[in-house]
Amino acid sequence: MAADPKDIESINLLLQGDKNALYLLYDKYSGALYGVILRMCREEDLAKDLLQESFIKIWKNIGSYDAEKGKFYTWAYRIAKNTTLNALRKSTPLIQSEDLSVYENKNADLEVTDYTALKGILSELEPHHQQAIDLVYFKGQTHREAHKAMNVPLGSFKSYIRQALMKLRERRSELTLLILLIEVFGNG
Amino acid sequence: MDKKKILEDGLLAQYLLGELSDDKEILIQKGLKEDADLRSIFEGLEEEFQNIAFENAIQPPDSVKIALSDALETNGETSKVRDITVLKKSDTFNYGRLAVAASLAAIFALSSFWFYNRWQASEDNLKALQEQTFALQDRLSNLEQTFEVTSQRYQSINNRNVIPLLLKGNRIFPESRAVAYVNHTTKSVLVNSQGLPPLEKDKTYQMWADVDGIMINMGLLPADTDLIPLKYIDKAESFNITIEPAGGNDHPTVENLISNVLL
Repeated sequence: MAADPKDIESINLLLQGDKNALYLLYDKYSGALYGVILRMCREEDLAKDLLQESFIKIWKNIGSYDAEKGKFYTWAYRIAKNTTLNALRKSTPLIQSEDLSVYENKNADLEVTDYTALKGILSELEPHHQQAIDLVYFKGQTHREAHKAMNVPLGSFKSYIRQALMKLRERRSELTLLILLIEVFGNG
Repeated sequence: MDKKKILEDGLLAQYLLGELSDDKEILIQKGLKEDADLRSIFEGLEEEFQNIAFENAIQPPDSVKIALSDALETNGETSKVRDITVLKKSDTFNYGRLAVAASLAAIFALSSFWFYNRWQASEDNLKALQEQTFALQDRLSNLEQTFEVTSQRYQSINNRNVIPLLLKGNRIFPESRAVAYVNHTTKSVLVNSQGLPPLEKDKTYQMWADVDGIMINMGLLPADTDLIPLKYIDKAESFNITIEPAGGNDHPTVENLISNVLL
């Protein structure tokens, strides 16, 4: 897999117990992971604790990371997401005591607040594409939970995700091309 | 599992997000290992999700890094460099004492080696246990999610306010069956469409509520699905299922009506 060579170097040092290697990875990825955790739990004090807990898990479990299976960030994201979901599950009842009306209230509660507003190219997508990515990536919902939250069939929801990723790639390619052109004409 | 199914079902995104069961994860990993094209698509997906995360990054306060560093220093093994004392050569060199010292050093070296091996074995065991715990935690997390979804579904249909209605197929599809669960208190409708035969790709089932002779769209109904939430329509007198072009229709195609039930 296409893992970043600098990450591989840090991970090798981390495997030898080098704490500075962990701090290097922290400097690079803590912002991205904190963005995910904070959007999931929407409570700053809890998010700070969960970010710290996630990096302690990374430190303790780095032996189980396999670069062949994917990027370090993907692995770290899963740790942060599971740590946050577990913490949220402990603080909320596991089983809904009422019927779907409770579920609907829960969805209404998922409205974004200031610090959870989406940024970057994602914020330029159509609202239903933004919401689909937001639910599975920043709210930690499964596809099966998220399609109900959006009140669309699972197949349509999967199409939303596929289309959103395609549009993001297209938009990113356009921007890269634009930057290249600006550089070429700017220097030329 | 073939590549087409993995791509069509969007399983790579679910794998990346850690949503799949252990057995499905293993199948995807096998697919990624064996198919360079699939691997390249997955790498693109990873890249895109990482870009999204970086664009939406929020800088944590410095206090988190300080707390992390404190936690690691408190619990981690901090090695201390031992002071080495150089012995001055004595004028009265005692071979007997030297032999005793050498023997003690040999015993110390052997016991150190033995302890080192034991320590290494314990470390390996600990690491294996940590890995197992980690895998079990992930599995538990997946099971809890599945349990939560199942419990919610069970709660939503096993409720005294819920009226189950069987939608039997007419002469077009005599063998088809669907069950609608209507809750007038919470104004919700869930439909189990597992008994509807699969349709061609360019067609879909669509459900309609009849209100004073006007058919109102309740939503699309994918075949062979557990429970689909549809729009609840006030004062509906009957539910009707028709076959429509993929994506649904604004008005029902009455000749394609395959089932209906009075409320």
